Amino acid sequence: MDHQTRIEAASKFLLQAPPGEINDVLNDVRMIINDDGSLQEGILPVLHEYNVTQFITTEVPGVEHQVIISNASKVSQEEGFDQDTSRFVDPQSSKSFAFDHLRLEASDLQPFEFFAETEPLRTALQTATTNYVKDHFHDAVSAVLPSPLASSSSEEGPKKFIIQIVGNKYNPSNFWAGRWRSSYTLDTESGELTGKIDVTVHYYEQGNVQLASSHAPSISLRASLASSCTQPSNAIKILALIGDVEKKYQESLADAYHLMGDKTFKNLRRALPLTRQKIDWDKVTGYKLGAELNASRTGLNPSD
Amino acid sequence: MGDVLDSMLDLMRRLPPTKIEENVAALTALCPDYADDFLGSVDQPLILKVDRTTGKEYLACDYNRDGDSYRSPWSNEYDPPIDDGTLPSAKMRKLEVAANEAFDTYRELYFEGGVSSVFLWELEDGGFAGVVLLKKVLNPSTASEPSGSWDSIHVFEAVERGRNAHYKLTSTIMLQLVTRSPGTGEVNLSGSMTRQSEMDAAVPDFSSHVPNTGRMIEDMEIKMRNLLQEVYFGKTRDVVYDLRSVESLEYARRQRELQKELVGFMKR
Repeated sequence: MDHQTRIEAASKFLLQAPPGEINDVLNDVRMIINDDGSLQEGILPVLHEYNVTQFITTEVPGVEHQVIISNASKVSQEEGFDQDTSRFVDPQSSKSFAFDHLRLEASDLQPFEFFAETEPLRTALQTATTNYVKDHFHDAVSAVLPSPLASSSSEEGPKKFIIQIVGNKYNPSNFWAGRWRSSYTLDTESGELTGKIDVTVHYYEQGNVQLASSHAPSISLRASLASSCTQPSNAIKILALIGDVEKKYQESLADAYHLMGDKTFKNLRRALPLTRQKIDWDKVTGYKLGAELNASRTGLNPSD
Repeated sequence: MGDVLDSMLDLMRRLPPTKIEENVAALTALCPDYADDFLGSVDQPLILKVDRTTGKEYLACDYNRDGDSYRSPWSNEYDPPIDDGTLPSAKMRKLEVAANEAFDTYRELYFEGGVSSVFLWELEDGGFAGVVLLKKVLNPSTASEPSGSWDSIHVFEAVERGRNAHYKLTSTIMLQLVTRSPGTGEVNLSGSMTRQSEMDAAVPDFSSHVPNTGRMIEDMEIKMRNLLQEVYFGKTRDVVYDLRSVESLEYARRQRELQKELVGFMKR
């Protein structure tokens, strides 16, 4: 197997890493590939992909809160990956920073000025999101970003806003980890709100059990709200709709658990046979012999 | 050197159980030198085969494989046919036939469908070993019904000591449940777990190994099924609530403060 193919195969493992376990997976991959130099170079694009799709959060020097790494917060919106120009925006502090996808470190902070005209709406959405997250997540980070990521030097203002939420809980000493990711796009021109919710949970105490769920809700705004969704005062209404969708989603997830844990489980394997008793193994193994005896007896005495 | 194998096994404990087959294939291709040891230590979902002689379905795994052929427990024949395929001794085959019949009944009573297979082989230092395989796949009749699969692999060793036998059992269950609906999108709950147990039991005659291993495997499967349903799946559900609260946390905080105030008021 040539070098390039080996790195590609290893990359696929990294993309499957459960929440909070990327370093454990990376350590295993290092041992398997056994060539740190070229591995480090070769896997950077994959680590970048993992970080932006998983909404990895990072500390930024001089900033109190955690910041989400995502495609929407990427300064250079060009396709492909280049570590040298990999910069992201922290919308809450209006700073951009360079990000090392292997060490997960932010550096070289610079001011980032958003497109001025839409700032009142964006900050109103951010405040409403922060309040919503505080009310329903035990430990989560959020971001509201214009799409495209328009700055003060952009010629045109953004037509869309992306609302992101990521909640992580890692508990390696008790062998579990979970991640809730949601992202909503508000299209201010069409008045449409679309979303995606991904929940991943890993429980691995003497086993490997995983929940992977993905849902793409489409939320309809009332005509009056759709036409006035650019008004900052309506941000709270938009977050109320998001809150409603997430509540319903969590409830239907509980229903799915109930259905699968109860009915589907039983359809696969019953807890006990219909008789509600464990098997009488002496009878089961004697059954065939008994049937043969019966058959021969019946043969001898047809009236029996 | 052993570290590579440890890393391969650690990866299997972390990566999604839904991708066992493709990850095992990728790892064996990456580390061909460790492939044999690795394949001997990981369990994969069982492959369904049809016995050409009897038309009956059976399960294929490493234990009934010889080269590229698999032996059927029903006809005792290899498919594709080979001339010098390993076969159990006459004594072993007799017990294997009885075990296959017994576990076929077990399968019907617990799984109400699915496929079972038992394979036995003699051990070099006396005694014998065997594997009991069970698989059931749920194919939903409508799109909204959940689909799922269950694979059990029970490997045991039996060593006779006078009129008793000592049994060692290693059991692995692999489970996958998938549901799709407009309200939840796709929900995939999957897992694998392995447990071991040991037991001593009387062996009045050689055929007693069938009820003995039967009881041991039945108890183990009941225990593991309960663990999967209650502990493992229950835990992943609890973690979802650890991430997000359906109820307002702000409201809960205010209620706690109000209660504190009331307690303080009553004390006064």
